[in-house]
Amino acid sequence: MKKRSLGINIAAIVLFAISMYPFFVMLISSVKHQMQIYENPWFFSKVFHFDNYWIAFEQIAMPIVHSIEVTAIGVIVTLLASSTAAYAFARHDFPFKNLFYSIIIMLLMIPGFVILVPQFINIKNMGMYNTIIGQALPPAASYTAMGVLLLRTYFEGLSKSLYEAAEMEGAKDARIFTLIVLPLSKPILATVAIMSGLQIWNNFVWSLVVTTGDKVMPVIIAITTIQSGINEGDGVKLAGYIIASLPLLILFFAATKPFVSGLTQGAVKG
Amino acid sequence: MNERAYNIKPRSGGLWNRIWKYRTAYLFLVPSLLLLGSIKYLPFFTAFVESLFDWNGVNINTFIGLGNYEELLQDKKVAVAFANVFKISLFTLIVNLTLPMLAAVLVFRIRNIRLQNFLKVGFIVPLVVPMMVLVLLWRWLYAGDFGLINQFLDLIGLGSLKHSWLGDPSTALWAIIFVGFPWVAGLPFLLYLSGLQGISEDLFEVSQIEGVGPFRRFWSIELPLMASQIKLVLMLTLIQAFQVFEAPYVLTNGGPGITTITPALHIYDQAFNYSRFGYASSIGVAMFAILIILTVVIQKFVKNSEKIE
Repeated sequence: MKKRSLGINIAAIVLFAISMYPFFVMLISSVKHQMQIYENPWFFSKVFHFDNYWIAFEQIAMPIVHSIEVTAIGVIVTLLASSTAAYAFARHDFPFKNLFYSIIIMLLMIPGFVILVPQFINIKNMGMYNTIIGQALPPAASYTAMGVLLLRTYFEGLSKSLYEAAEMEGAKDARIFTLIVLPLSKPILATVAIMSGLQIWNNFVWSLVVTTGDKVMPVIIAITTIQSGINEGDGVKLAGYIIASLPLLILFFAATKPFVSGLTQGAVKG
Repeated sequence: MNERAYNIKPRSGGLWNRIWKYRTAYLFLVPSLLLLGSIKYLPFFTAFVESLFDWNGVNINTFIGLGNYEELLQDKKVAVAFANVFKISLFTLIVNLTLPMLAAVLVFRIRNIRLQNFLKVGFIVPLVVPMMVLVLLWRWLYAGDFGLINQFLDLIGLGSLKHSWLGDPSTALWAIIFVGFPWVAGLPFLLYLSGLQGISEDLFEVSQIEGVGPFRRFWSIELPLMASQIKLVLMLTLIQAFQVFEAPYVLTNGGPGITTITPALHIYDQAFNYSRFGYASSIGVAMFAILIILTVVIQKFVKNSEKIE
């Protein structure tokens, strides 16, 4: 029995090490000059060139600001649209409820590339080409379907007596929603915010088609064009890739739980 | 008769009155319906309509019936693109149904709680890394003579296999598929693990008392009870593989020649390099149709987990 569990441990650790090695190489190479990468690609080598990070950061600082703006707007829109709709579905039995719900959820079945082209023309006609909001709205709308699904279940799970007590006091929907439901639903709202934020931050294709030049270029596009001197070489690019991943990694470690539950619940229910 | 029918429905007034009664509920739906309607569903229907048009997005918009679809059937790029995503899908399906499952089962069986928790989190960290970063990292690993993959071959004495992986038509598609090797850390791992964690402890205890070995335990308990997760992984993998864009776009841009073109890349190219929006829409509609068919097939033939209490 002991022997077997040791075997399992070793197999799992080996699998993990192989999975992580490319990321490890990226990390160690990001503080090297080009010659160090040629001479010893497999492990750390002196001297550490942390200035690679500075050179990369100078090039992608503005795009990071753009990405933060896009993500913030996108997350707010997602939360607003999905929480209001979820409240209506969870609280009321109005005519055509199921029809409306199906319309919203059906979006999960539509692959993004099917609507990419008309969506581009549409956004352009609305005057949102090459803007922050034009980058934010479509991915926010995409995640709204999932948001409605997750939030509705959660709102329905809130105690019925709470709603009844509020109604007895004469509170209307707007007050019940903002003063009772939303404050009680912080965990699930965090999950929806994180998941939509992840998708908006990482969204490459949409920003590629709807932006041009560097006026509102997001970081996910900026990292594809990082320049470096011949000495520094690829280390600078790798440093840029790491910087672009950092905000989400920090968020992940700060809020592992809502992240994981968002990933599993989102996939299972979708 | 009439009177009785009237009595069964005591609701005051008709449909309009009920709608009026729930007007606040409808108000709550306005933001989401407006957002989805204008940003998603309008383009979705436009895609179908414009797939019947010669459309450049600006001044040309002529109805040509099924012209785009006729062209599509004869377009060699479309044929290669769909053949490629079928290959990619098949390979990714096989991979996603085996390696992450192996990892999930291994991690699930680890006795040391600290090691288990570390690996649980460790295997999902790469999920947070942007796809684009992963693709760029692999582009760097593949690159030229000094790319790490070629250097590694030198190191283990297989220097003769050194290769321009992305430039050779016979290896380019495989190089794209190979991104993310060993494909363990990701959403499938997380789904399998959550499936395993949902299995009742009692089942394992009973099986242990009855002397069930580790392989029997996998075949008879864990695998059948992960059926729902397997189905989900099938669906997600297909939808993702069919729309694969970043890797071919950055690594090969469809080349050499058209050997690594994908439907998504072709749509992008036709629309944004040639302004053939109508034709691009028809490729999108074809992709949608194929995905719907595959979804229905999976829903019909792959069973969900049985519930064992």
